[in-house]
Amino acid sequence: MTNLDHAAHRFASPVSASPLPVRAGIGLKAQHYQDIIDTAPDIGWLEVHSENYMCAGGPTQKWLSAMRERYAISMHGVGLSLGSAGPLDDAHLTRLCDLERRVEPGAISEHLSWSIADGVYLNDLIALPYTEESLDVFSTHVLQMQDALKRRVLIENPSSYLRYAHSVIPEPEFLLNVAQRSACAVLLDVNNVFVSAMNHGFDPIAYLDQIPADLIGEVHLGGHSQVVFDDRVLRIDDHGSKVCDEVWTLYERLIQRTGPKPTLIEWDSNIPELSVLLDEAAKADRILAHAAIREEVRHAVAV
Amino acid sequence: MPSLFDLQNALRDVSLGGDASTLASTIIGDGFIPEQRLIVHRNNTTILLSEALGATYSVIKKLVGDEFFNAVAALYVRAQPPHSPCLFEYGEGFGDFLATLPATTDLAYLPDVARLEWMWNAAFHAADVKPLTSADLAPVAPDAYGDLIFSPHPSLRLISSAFPIKEIWDVNQCDADPDATVNLDEGPQALVVLRPKASVEMVELSPGGFVLAQSLANSAALEDAFAAAQHSAPSFDPASTLAVLISVGAFQSYTLRP
Repeated sequence: MTNLDHAAHRFASPVSASPLPVRAGIGLKAQHYQDIIDTAPDIGWLEVHSENYMCAGGPTQKWLSAMRERYAISMHGVGLSLGSAGPLDDAHLTRLCDLERRVEPGAISEHLSWSIADGVYLNDLIALPYTEESLDVFSTHVLQMQDALKRRVLIENPSSYLRYAHSVIPEPEFLLNVAQRSACAVLLDVNNVFVSAMNHGFDPIAYLDQIPADLIGEVHLGGHSQVVFDDRVLRIDDHGSKVCDEVWTLYERLIQRTGPKPTLIEWDSNIPELSVLLDEAAKADRILAHAAIREEVRHAVAV
Repeated sequence: MPSLFDLQNALRDVSLGGDASTLASTIIGDGFIPEQRLIVHRNNTTILLSEALGATYSVIKKLVGDEFFNAVAALYVRAQPPHSPCLFEYGEGFGDFLATLPATTDLAYLPDVARLEWMWNAAFHAADVKPLTSADLAPVAPDAYGDLIFSPHPSLRLISSAFPIKEIWDVNQCDADPDATVNLDEGPQALVVLRPKASVEMVELSPGGFVLAQSLANSAALEDAFAAAQHSAPSFDPASTLAVLISVGAFQSYTLRP
């Protein structure tokens, strides 16, 4: 038995790598709760930031239950800090498991990054140095998360603004190593790949092409902004605008290769009217539908 | 090569305002000065945590304006960064922090308004529990009323201030009349803040009522709480305030003093 088989066996569960509807979903924002209940938009699913719903009670939990009655939910964590040196926060992991039992999400994800140092939560997703030490720490934490949840989780590639002089493993290779050691799946954020590629000068297509289709459980699309330092642009992943044309092109190319994947439209700052998110989701849905037809045709001709 | 632990602690310090040059040799500049790349992370932490505080303290933000709020929030983030990734739990000490700032001495009511906003936030996220009603007390014999010990509703909070903080809170809600004003001489004011069902409520108490509510919330037996309240305000009628506290849902259950 290889490590991968062994790990996959441990987490063999009814939940596949891609149990969300293979359609576009949107990030759920409090500003849109009432609008979604009132208008029941035809969207594939909703994604929530898990930490926002870990309260003891109150209206936010009731809104989430109301959404869950209507849509599949993806739980996207921003606070477990799988990349932090030292142990995971057990109390936080317990809260995550409690929420997961209540929500029964179609997918549950976290980030290839760190946010906590010595107990302080920085509310920022910071890239890791890609070293053997980090790979051990991160993979162990993913295994611990999956053990606690008793299910496979998705790990999202980060957007990054800096690289460390002592990094020795290319990021896609690091991510694939984590997936192999822990049998997790990948949440591939196309905007993050583009932002990092522009910030560090690598080829985003080569990165995306390295991630095997069957490992990708979900795709993220979002907008980013730009800041200028001495005539040089740094792209900032602030989820505060529409998905840019370059990212749509990369997404279309990705989906042609992988076939349709559940795809999220993320929007977390300067949040617009719900209809703006729905328009972006409809655009992703058209690309997904086109890819589905291509797959069907390919299958029909092969038969 | 720094260990992951050392690197993360050093980067945390930079994100909380420390000297970025200490980490410069660890970061690949690649067309930028390494410090410029590190500053992106300091900005992320400062801006995103300030936004989280602004969501909890929307009245304070409206009272002082965005620019002043963001400056104060940045100071707070560096002095008291969060230890939980659940940001609805972040900012409990903000009112006390405001009270220490020389820049807010002309706005003496700010710390109490912030404490009120924190209580509203805590009540909003508290556990959902059905409040005790007067019917629940039917089995208690009148002779035993003095021995009643109430357990406070999980959302219950109490605050007293030298200022009319409820009125300040009211006129700074987003749906308030923009021309409404508050006379600061209307204070002092004591409030019970709670969320018996879906909405957070604020109920004003007399000075004696506040002592009564505080005593009961601290598990005093009813006769001791009555005595404490009457001692603090001799003409105070504790029975009517008790009826108000029960009717607004201030308690979740009771026991009898053995």
